[in-house]
Amino acid sequence: MNSFVVKVSNLVKTFDTKKIIKNISFNVNENSVTGVLGKNGAGKTTLLGMLMGLISPSSGNIEILGKNLFFKKNEILKEINFQSPYIDLPKKMTVEQNLFFYSRLYGIKKFKDIINDLVKKLKMTDLMKKNYGSLSAGQKTKVNLCKALINNPKLLLLDEPTASLDPETSIFIREFLLDYQKKNKSSILITSHNLEEIQSICSKIILLKLGKIASNGNLNELLKINNYSSLKDFFLGQG
Amino acid sequence: MFGRILALIIRYKTISFGSFPRLLSIFYWPSVQILFWGFFSNFLIENNTTPYIGVLSIILSAVVLWDVLFRGQLGLTMSFLEEIWSRNLTNLFITPLREYELVFSLIIISMLRTLIGLTPAIFVANFFFDFHLFELGFYLIFFFFNLIAIGWSIGFVVSGLVLRYGHSFEELAWAIIFILLPFSCVYYPLDSLPFIMQKIAQIFPPVYVFESMRKILIDNQVEFQQLYRIIILNFTYLLLSVLFFLKMISSSRKKGLLINQGE
Repeated sequence: MNSFVVKVSNLVKTFDTKKIIKNISFNVNENSVTGVLGKNGAGKTTLLGMLMGLISPSSGNIEILGKNLFFKKNEILKEINFQSPYIDLPKKMTVEQNLFFYSRLYGIKKFKDIINDLVKKLKMTDLMKKNYGSLSAGQKTKVNLCKALINNPKLLLLDEPTASLDPETSIFIREFLLDYQKKNKSSILITSHNLEEIQSICSKIILLKLGKIASNGNLNELLKINNYSSLKDFFLGQG
Repeated sequence: MFGRILALIIRYKTISFGSFPRLLSIFYWPSVQILFWGFFSNFLIENNTTPYIGVLSIILSAVVLWDVLFRGQLGLTMSFLEEIWSRNLTNLFITPLREYELVFSLIIISMLRTLIGLTPAIFVANFFFDFHLFELGFYLIFFFFNLIAIGWSIGFVVSGLVLRYGHSFEELAWAIIFILLPFSCVYYPLDSLPFIMQKIAQIFPPVYVFESMRKILIDNQVEFQQLYRIIILNFTYLLLSVLFFLKMISSSRKKGLLINQGE
């Protein structure tokens, strides 16, 4: 029997009078990579925001790592992390200062060793003394990812992690994430418009359409049942 | 808790004091203000425009104490706005940081910025005008903490408004203090204001601080009733402003404003 790292029940989010998330329920398995797909405005970012406690749901329930997000938010936040190319780190601090800062916020002991290890693996040793604001998009993605892994999260939320990256860096990031997930037995929830990327790394997908779940399940099974040969065809047909 | 507060203080310290232009901006203005008012007061005394020799001491004390309020507010607001400008709010609010830890950190960094900004100004005043701020004795510490607390109250309100209602409120960070200035009676007694303005001024604590300061420097007397009033008003305003700030964070969560906030 699978245990769930995320359990969402009857989740609703309304901004003013507009319902963005319409009574959705789903689970995310432990030790899995799940893709959240949907066109612009489908509610992906709102959903991620609610899973991180950044957006308050209008109604419904979110459990992460067996704890209720409403009541145990700070305990949960110690165990999860997030990366997005659209969210920056402080530009006026060096990469090293940024990583030290976030390590202290997460209460990590011996953080210098952990950072050194991550920095080597992400091949960003030469970036440590540079100001974050002076980095290229690809370099920033690596630094953001390093920040996101600093607390060895049991649940990693990624919002289009390889957007605007060159193919070589995208492949590196993708392979790094898969390797990290396997070694640490973490769960990853990823949103992306890059369907090939989702198909290559996700075992399960949740397809959002206008705030509702249009499809949810094992990627290969969904393709087989619906008679699609690729995720792109499936997305165009169902999304 | 202390680790996270320390993390934020180190961050704000790096930003505030990490570069020479920023450091300069912190201690430059208070010193310039002291020089400006000091030379002006000397001019008045030398030309017998004012018969009272203690005017220099009163004006310079008022300049320094008003700057405590101003620097306190600015230090808190600018540190918080830095999180918005650097698009760092999302990352900050997904850490285990508690909101009261953010409140304490902002208060501490505001205190540090104010002390660092004013120390050279006090030395400048002493060197050029033989001015001794410590003539106020124990009451200097009392006035300092109460004025900086007023600055924090204003800072939390402005920060909450910018977070919730956007960048159009950023101008308030600079302007709001000058709305309060005429009602604070920094350089003149409360009696010199028109009746309506007197009534408005009495709602705010700065007027009692500056009235008490003048009473000590001119008559060498302390009006304890005014000191109690300062404490009660300040405590009320600070409590309400922190609650307002927390309410604005909560409201921003409901509106989805903590994602992608930035310039």
